[in-house]
Amino acid sequence: MTTTTVQASHVHRHGVARPGVRHALGRVLAVLVRSIAIFVPVFLVATFVTFALRSLSGLSPARIQLGEDATREAIHRVEAQWGLDKPFFAQYWDWFSGVLHGQLGASWTNGADISTLIGLGLGVSLSVATFALLIGVVVGFVLGTLAALRRTTWLDRAITGFVTVISVMPAFVVGIVLIEIFAVGLHLFPSAGYVPAQQGTGPWLAHITLPALALSFDVVADVARQLRTSLVAAYRENYVTGAVVRGLSPRRIFFVHVLRNGLGPALATLGLKFPALVGASVVTEWIFGLQGFGRFANDSAQAGDVPAVQGVLVVSILLVVTFNLIVNLVLARVTPASQRGV
Amino acid sequence: MMRRILSLTSGRIALGVLAVIALLALLGPLLAPQDPLATSGHTLANPSSAHWLGTDNLGRDVLSRLLDGSRVSVAGSLEVALTALVVGAIPGILSVYLGRAFEWVTLRLADTLVALPFLLFAVAVIALLGNGLTQAMLVTGALVSPLFYRVSRAATLAVARSQYVEAALISGASIGWVVRRHVWAKVLPSIAVALAQTIGVGFIIVSSLTFLGIGIQPPKPTWGGLLASDLGYLSYQPWAPLVPALLIMVTVWAANLLADTLRDVSGEAGRALINNRKAHADRRSKSDLVTTGGAR
Repeated sequence: MTTTTVQASHVHRHGVARPGVRHALGRVLAVLVRSIAIFVPVFLVATFVTFALRSLSGLSPARIQLGEDATREAIHRVEAQWGLDKPFFAQYWDWFSGVLHGQLGASWTNGADISTLIGLGLGVSLSVATFALLIGVVVGFVLGTLAALRRTTWLDRAITGFVTVISVMPAFVVGIVLIEIFAVGLHLFPSAGYVPAQQGTGPWLAHITLPALALSFDVVADVARQLRTSLVAAYRENYVTGAVVRGLSPRRIFFVHVLRNGLGPALATLGLKFPALVGASVVTEWIFGLQGFGRFANDSAQAGDVPAVQGVLVVSILLVVTFNLIVNLVLARVTPASQRGV
Repeated sequence: MMRRILSLTSGRIALGVLAVIALLALLGPLLAPQDPLATSGHTLANPSSAHWLGTDNLGRDVLSRLLDGSRVSVAGSLEVALTALVVGAIPGILSVYLGRAFEWVTLRLADTLVALPFLLFAVAVIALLGNGLTQAMLVTGALVSPLFYRVSRAATLAVARSQYVEAALISGASIGWVVRRHVWAKVLPSIAVALAQTIGVGFIIVSSLTFLGIGIQPPKPTWGGLLASDLGYLSYQPWAPLVPALLIMVTVWAANLLADTLRDVSGEAGRALINNRKAHADRRSKSDLVTTGGAR
């Protein structure tokens, strides 16, 4: 096992020295295969847990549709109609094969197709989340890099202090503050609601800016902190001293030697941050009155609509897995060394 | 360990703030000057001598509601942290010793739990398994446990491969003895750091859930719930969210600060740091004695 990894790293080093298409492709494939090998069991376990929730909850569509004082026969009839009289594993298999085909079933409250409902909300949530990630990465990158380049100066201390403050602000506190300042106080942005991008980019951006800002604070803090730490660590490495001695320009040292090696941990944090981002969307969408994915999750959970909740959880797991896959691919491209361990 | 934490200013601040919050949680409901549920005609009043923080939209005293609600948040976050500790740390240590099958299964489980958005899951679990914060906090604790699993596993792996443990095993020590004598001491600092971090995370989760009004019966006051009710009256009382928001932020900040301090003072680097500071302080007091009022 060890010998093969050592050989692989040699191959990688050659690949970096002479960038060849074949090596890059092979690396991408290797990452894909490894990620899938990790994520298939993850998906199986997670969907099973999700499905088991219904049996544990003891909720039934009959309660929602017929009310509290329904006769036993009526309850039986409704449950049979939903296939709930079958054994547990038969139900699981029905549901799981549906999930594999993209069918998440029908809602208990109104019988609507859950995949469609989630699809409607996902457009809103993904716009906000993508924008939040964009803000988080750009601002976090700038702050982290500035702090690392001007380390132990007043600028570094100011950035570190600012990052510490925003890292302890929960999304809903940020949301309230933003509404106070920009919507109630300055009337710059609408305080609630959503306009699809097809109806004009301007209004669309105006509606998603505040929620995206509220979500982004956490990402900014994490990226900035992680980047500062790893850049400072990279500057202490011998190869940087070597580069200085060889007379390379500071700019070249930063971009070629320091940044490339320091970027990995910050990217990896981004992958870990995504589940929290999806979770926090429940709160921000509630504050900003967006009919998104998180709002749908909250509403159907409060209504006891089990298939809808299951659908939401499956989609959220898929989102997290996909995002992590993308992060891993980028990581493999930027820092080949990160693929040796794991 | 405690002495080391207290020797740093940041450690003193963090522990001080957390102690105040803990006291609030213990004594808050007793300290509340008025009945937190009693409504009155003075709705949305400004701060006054009768209502230090004003009243809310139903004329209830905000200070009393804050004090009364502190217990829920603190108890919830502790519950998250302790559940995560038990669920994560024990398999983390055992995964090094119980063979490859156990290791593989627990590693995959940890991967799975990391992939689940815990706030979403907490919302789902509360709604489906009954309206109680306790269950939700247990589930959230289980979902954040991979942090403890990884941290304790990494520390255990480092110890298990060290020479003195090998020597102990060769001279006939049992695994249980090695874990108790050597592994425990190495794992404890990293677990303490993770615990402090998780308390902060748990605090944010509890506040978010109570903000959404999930897991709590409506008239009962919580910090998150106070913020949510303020949201509807921002144009009348723009300053109202300030105090509950500050309380939440200061608590989370103190928990993070404690985690950072713990990381700084634990291990060999920590011992060096403390000794260095002590030497500095000694030298300074000595030079003060000799020069009496020199340049510094």
